[in-house]
Formats: sequence, C-alpha cells, structure tokens
Amino acid sequence: MLLLQLLINGLQVGALYALIAVGFSLVFGSTRVFHFAHGSAFTIAAYVFYYVFSVAQVHWTIAILGATAAAVLFGVMLDRFVYAPIQVHEGSFFTLFVASFGTAIVVQNLIGVIFGRSFVSVTTPLSRSIEISPGLFVSPLSGIAIVVAVLFFGGLQFFLMRTHVGMGLRALSENPELVRAYGLSPRRLSTMVFALGSLLVVPAAILSAASSGLSPAIGHHVMLISLAATIVGGVGSLRGAACAGLLLGMAENLALVYFEPQWSEAVTFIVLFLFILFRPSGFFGRAIAH
Amino acid sequence: MSIFKRMFATALVTAAMSAAIVHAEDLTIGALFPMSGLNASYGDIFSSGANLARDHINADNLIGGKLSIQYEDSQALPQQGVIGMNKLVNVQKVPYVLSAFTGVSKAISTIATRTKTVAVNGGGVGPDLAELGPYFWNVIPLANFEVRAIIPYLVKERNLKRFVLVYVDDPLGQSVRKEMEATLPSAGGQLVEALSVPATSQQFGGIAARVRAANPDVVYVASYGSQELQIVKQFRDAGIKQQLVSYSAFSIPELNALPEALGAMYTTQLVDWSSNDPVTKRFVDDYKAKFNKMPTAYIANYYNAVRTFALLANQLQKKGKPVTGENLLAQRIETRTFDLVGGKVTIAENGTVVVPMQIVEIDGKGGKTVSSAAPK
Amino acid sequence: MFAYILNLATLICINGVLAITLNFIMGYAGIFSLAHAIFFGVGAYSAAYFALHSSASIFLAVPAAMLVAAVLSLVLALPALRVRGEYFVAASLGLQVLGVTVFSEWKSITGGLGGIIGIPPVELFGHAVTDPVQFLLLASGCLALVILITNTLLRSSFGRNLKAIRDSESAAHSFGKNVAAIKTLSVVISSALAAVAGALYAFYLGFINVESFMLDTSTLLMAMVIIGGTGTLLGPIVGAVLLMLLPSLFSYMWFLPQTEIGSIQQIAYGTAMVLLMVFRPGGIVGSGKGDRR
Repeated sequence: MLLLQLLINGLQVGALYALIAVGFSLVFGSTRVFHFAHGSAFTIAAYVFYYVFSVAQVHWTIAILGATAAAVLFGVMLDRFVYAPIQVHEGSFFTLFVASFGTAIVVQNLIGVIFGRSFVSVTTPLSRSIEISPGLFVSPLSGIAIVVAVLFFGGLQFFLMRTHVGMGLRALSENPELVRAYGLSPRRLSTMVFALGSLLVVPAAILSAASSGLSPAIGHHVMLISLAATIVGGVGSLRGAACAGLLLGMAENLALVYFEPQWSEAVTFIVLFLFILFRPSGFFGRAIAH
Repeated sequence: MSIFKRMFATALVTAAMSAAIVHAEDLTIGALFPMSGLNASYGDIFSSGANLARDHINADNLIGGKLSIQYEDSQALPQQGVIGMNKLVNVQKVPYVLSAFTGVSKAISTIATRTKTVAVNGGGVGPDLAELGPYFWNVIPLANFEVRAIIPYLVKERNLKRFVLVYVDDPLGQSVRKEMEATLPSAGGQLVEALSVPATSQQFGGIAARVRAANPDVVYVASYGSQELQIVKQFRDAGIKQQLVSYSAFSIPELNALPEALGAMYTTQLVDWSSNDPVTKRFVDDYKAKFNKMPTAYIANYYNAVRTFALLANQLQKKGKPVTGENLLAQRIETRTFDLVGGKVTIAENGTVVVPMQIVEIDGKGGKTVSSAAPK
Repeated sequence: MFAYILNLATLICINGVLAITLNFIMGYAGIFSLAHAIFFGVGAYSAAYFALHSSASIFLAVPAAMLVAAVLSLVLALPALRVRGEYFVAASLGLQVLGVTVFSEWKSITGGLGGIIGIPPVELFGHAVTDPVQFLLLASGCLALVILITNTLLRSSFGRNLKAIRDSESAAHSFGKNVAAIKTLSVVISSALAAVAGALYAFYLGFINVESFMLDTSTLLMAMVIIGGTGTLLGPIVGAVLLMLLPSLFSYMWFLPQTEIGSIQQIAYGTAMVLLMVFRPGGIVGSGKGDRR
C-alpha cells in the first residue's frame, strides 16, 4: 500500500516536473541558450499568483492571467534585452549562461526582499486529500496536476506539429539559416520560444504554490530538475524531457521506500551524473559530437 | 587583549575612587538572533522579551548607567552567528551575549570560551548545549527534559503508545531521537519509526505516506520555523489524523493560528502568569499593556537572561569589580539563585536550569494547559 | 575596528585563493565548475579532522587536506573528460548538490548539520597561531604562494597547452596533446590548492559546518572570477576584494535595511554579472571583447 501511495505521489510530482522540464527543453533545444533563469520564470509566476490570489484576494482566474502575463513577459524581455544583445556580439555558451545565472540570482533575491524568505503557501481546500480507498489518499490537486500536464503537453504537440509557427520552431533547432531562407525570422521565433517555454511553467508554479508552498529559493530546485530531465531525456527531445521529468518525480518518491528522505534529492543527481558520464545523449536525444 | 586593556583602565579608575559604589557606567550586551530568513519570527519574539527587560532595568537604574542591547542577525545559521559574534566581541567588546538556536550556540561557544565572553541561551533546547563550557549558560530547560515530560502523559493519560518521530537531522533532532529511544520503552511506549528530514525540505507528501504506513498513535515533530508549519499542514492534507506533538518550538503564534494545527500538543516551561511575585507580575502586566497579548515562555526566558546580567552587574559594581565575562561567571556561581520571572530560579553549576514543565494544547485561542509535569 | 579590518583582510586572502584556483580551470581550461565550494569544504573538513585527531601542524594538516581534495577531484575530472559546456555545468551542479548532502549526512567525519567545533589553532613550528595579526600574515603568505604556483604554471608549456585546449579541443588533440591528462591535471591542481583555503578557513574560525560550502558559495566564487575577469592573472584577486568588501560597504549605507544586506549584496553582483556579459564579457580586468570560445 505504501508503494502504491508513493507511486501516486510520484505521478503528481512527476507531472509537474514534466511540464517544467519540457519548457526548458524547448528553449534550450531551439535556441541553444542555457536558460538558467527558467527557474526564475517559475518563481515569478508562483509569487504573482500567490500575491493576486491570497494577498489581494482577487478571483483565481485573474490570478492565473496575472501569473501567466508575468512569466511570459519575463521570458520575452530577458530574450530581447539580455540574450539578444549578447548573441549579436559573440554569443558564446559561457556568456549567455552567466547572464542567465546572474538574472536568476537577482530575481531570487528581489522576491526574497519583497515577500520575505520564509515559506508561503496558497490555502485552498483542493489540497486536502480524500481517501479514495483504504490507505490511499489523493488530493483533488494531484488529479488536476495530472490532467493539466496531459492537456498542456497535448496542446504543445499540436502546436508544434500542425501550426506554421510551431514548425518554424522545430526548424529553428535544426537549422536557423534554412529558417531565414523560408522567410521566417529566427529572432522572432526565438522570442516566441521563450514566451512558450515560460508559459509552460505557469500551471506547475500555481499548483506547487497550493500544494507544497513557496520560498524564493524554489527556482533552484526547479532549475535542477529541468536540467536533469532535459539531459536524461535527451537534448532536443521534448518527449524525452517529459518522460524523464515524470521518471524523476517518481524516483524521488519511490526512493522513500528504501532510503531516508534526505537522500531523495541526491537520487536525482546521482542519476544525472551517471547519465552524463555514460550516456550524455540521454534516452531520446541526438548523439553529442565529442 | 583589548578586554584586558579595558579591565586595566577600569581598575585604575576604580582604584582612584573611594570605596563607595563605582561611578555610573553605561553597559552594552550583545544578542545573536535570527532577524531575517526562515526563522525571523523567533527573533522578533526573543527580542521583545530582551527589550522589555532592558527598559525595566533602565527605569530602575539597576546598573547605575544605561543598558543597551546590540543586535546582530544570525539568520539562525551557525556561519552567520560566528560572524556576528566576532563583531560583538571584537568591535563592540560586549561581556555578555544572548544566543539562540542550538546550531548557532554551538558555533559561537568556541569564541565565547576563547574570549571569556558569557553566552546565554534562552531558546535553543539541544541537550548538547549543556556541554559547551563554563561560559555558556542556559536559562531554558533542554529538549531532553521536554521529551521526558510529555511521554508519560501521552502513554498513560492519553493511551498513545505507538510513536513515530519526524525530525530534522541536526543536533537538536538527533538528541530528541536519542531521548525518545531511551525513555519510551520504560514508559510503556514504542518508537515505531524515526524519519529524518533535510533542514531545507519543503515536500512532505512522501514522508506523510511513510508515516501513515507505520500506523502510529501519535506523531512527534522535531523541527522548527516555517518547516514545522509545512509539516503540520501537509501531514493533515495527506490524511494523517493522529495526534501531533512537539516541543516548545510549537509555541510560535503562526503555528497556533494555523487551522491544521488544532488539537496539537506541545511542552513548554511552566510559568505561573498569574503569580503575585513582583518581578513576574510587572513583566506580565507591562507585556500585556505593550503588545495586547499574553507573553510566552521564550519571551520570559530572554527577559530573564537580560535581568540576570543586570543583577550580576549590579553586584559586581557594588564590589567595585569591572563587568567582564570572567567576573560575571564568578559572580553567578557565587549567587546561584535569582529573582526572575517565574519566581526564584537556581542556575546549576554547569550553567543549566531545571524548571517545571507544562503541556499545552492548541485550541486556536492561545492554547490551553492540559497538564503539568514536575522536573526530574 | 582594527580587529574588524583584520577579519575582512583574512577572509579576502582565503577567498582570493579560491577565486584564483577557480579561474585556473574556468578561465584557462574552459572547465566551468559550479562545484568549487565542495573542494573548499573537503579541504576544511580534512584539515579539521586531521588537526583534531593527529596534529595541528600546518606542514601536516594542509598537505593532508590537499591530498584528500586532489583524490576527490578525480570525480569532477571524469565528466570533464567526457563532455563540455552545458553538460559539464550540469554535472558540476549535480556534484555540488551531492557534496552538500554527503557533508550533511556523514556525521562521524563532518559532524553533520552541527558541524565541527573546537578546532585547535594551527601550529607553525610548534607555535600556535592565535593572534589575528599573525594569522593574517599566514593567510597572505599562502595567497602569495598560490599566486606564484598558478602563475608559474600558466606561463609554462602546461599553461599554453591549457589555453590551446580551451580554444579548440580538437585542434589540440590533433597536435598530439594528451588532452585527457592535461585536463585532469588542471582539475587536480585547482582542487588541491582550493583545499589550502579550506584548511586556513577551518583553523581561522575554529568551527566549520556545511552552510559555508553550499551552492551560494560556489556562485559567489564564480561571480568573483567573472566580474574580475576570467582568464586574467589579476582578475580573480580584483573580484575577490570587490565582492568581499560589498557587504561591509552596504552595511554603512544607513538607508538600506540591515536585515536585507545579504540579499542586496546578491542583487548587486547578479546585476553586475548580467551587465558585464552584455557590455564587457571580459570582466573588469579583461579586454573589452572577452575571449572568443
């Protein structure tokens, strides 16, 4: 019974991780920018939702809109005003990474100054578990998380496969020059990617705010998961990132059957480290030229 | 080095005067509290008690001059505490420092011993706080007493025998676990499972599942600050309906206001707030007047810590001795018993106190006492 | 006041060693490690353990610390050999997080979250160094030594090989350079010297715990190197001095809330990192264009 319960917990956590990871993988795969500030988009979305819904006591639909707007705006502005100028000059991996990293530090601390560094959470009756079967507790929030993840992922697939812009995005990761030849602007596509990637974290952010609470440092954890899932799943494969995110969430919880809780975060990293050593291309990724 | 220079200079001045009371001297003591970060709420609580004591002492002119408290932010982190302690000892040259949190206290104890500065703890409860040297004093009963106080009540009166312990894997949590392992069997209970959590963890869904699987009668939580709030909330969310129990860390107002915490029990020092003893009465009345609510044990402890300093300093001044850490220690050993909030308190040779404990149940209205336990 | 300045100066020396050693692999070998704080920690814990159980002599404790760090650094060298760029950053991040968990859990050696207290003062030729002035002299001596060692290495053929690898690994390989050996050696040297800083730190405070060796510290070190200027000799020192002076500077600005100094410091260097990358990737000391990679 413990196993089943942890499996369900893992599924819920994994669904959220998958969403976050796919957002990062999309950005990284298409633009090759090490968007370390992805965690910051998450933090911003979560705190805006918390502020609008819990502090200002406004209706949740408006809170969701606010969170989405904030995250997307953040991603787009970062691309426009930080990444783009750097890419014009020399755009080495290192410079972009450092700029992204610096942004993440600033965001984390700004939020700490504004909202305080302790945990806050959004109180909602949806987080209360219901005993669906003896010994098995599931909260409505978990169910919502899984449904939302599936919906978003499905929507993303549709967007990438069926729309022009979506196909342009996929082309961007393969061959930016060809994209230009077809009359699409890589710059505009890149902005679109950041908007989309940041959009994908919003549901995960809101659900986390309601279930496990927030602190400014939460961006770190999000970033680590995104990185791990993207690499394990294989760079360039959204499906891989989603699967890996799900797997990591489940591994984190199932590890509790045998190990002490403090090792569960370590489990994620041991897996990541092993993959980097023995199979950097991950499950579904393209081989890495080395 | 500089402390000796100061002592020498003061001695010269003293010698130059008659045998009457030494001329008035303003004194400063230090305080290392978490003023920011996850545990900032404790800093607010502790300083409210310390400040009230300072105001009373200055109003009574107890030390002849003005008493001030220099606060440094420890963020409840040992590293920060050491930095703050260095500042207090080297820059402000205080002879007496208020400390809080087991980890921070352990970290600064080395400096305290090296520089002969007295450090007084009124909030941390890790039992190893009793072993940090002669310059480290505790005016709060330590966690092993708290655990020992509540176990017989839970087992005998409430008939809760199967215990699961959820603890932070730091010196405090580890000592709570050791104490439970030692005390439970003879009391008739059983520690079914002990689960340690990382200090910065926020996700307790999986741990809740393990707790449920162990099928306990009661869950003892040994954590603090925001984390214990999350544990209580997420455990209740996850369907854990068993009795929740903790030590004095549960006495913070945020937890008492949390709806999920209703019915939880915790131990704290027993202070008879309605006592007619003048020190206690003045403390309670003034605190209520200023903050519009009843004080708690933590606040009383830091009031007492500051008051003890003033009483000792007063005695030293009457003898014409300078107020240094070394002299404060000697004077404390000589005096032994002090009139503090709660009545006459005796500080033992090893710098600890033994006081009566009480068990409080959270009822959303400030808590109600359900039992008291005599000290061992 | 004097004691406060002594304290600051000593910490600058210690962080200077760390920044220089990080620059050694970041600026010259192109190995972007976010795990440098772990080797700082390994050095500190090893020296503390050695001092508590064997001898507090500087000539024994420090080499012991260096040895442990050097051996452990092979764990970081492994991914450095297999991948570069983003993958290596991810691996080093993983190592950093893993290292912190090990530090927190291996209670018999590291004291867990409680840390190690009562570390004896370091002994130099039988004389226990407790006076802060003497300790500052010792720390600056170590800093000078580290600067000497790294500069000599960088000006030698080893240094040239490093730069060749950084600029183009495949070209270096085709020239017959043993890329794997050179990379591994640079990681080992960097970590061993970082351990010296760790040992100094442990002896200075008399107490260490895992808080000093977390991701925040690795980030700060990286900021020092970047803001000062990667791949330059003076850069890491400039960066170390600047970033260590920042908190004190801020605490004198009375209009800033005291409880937020830590955050303000981080905002400051985070912003500096972003602005520098956009306008002057070479850092303060580096050339305006930065190194092409």
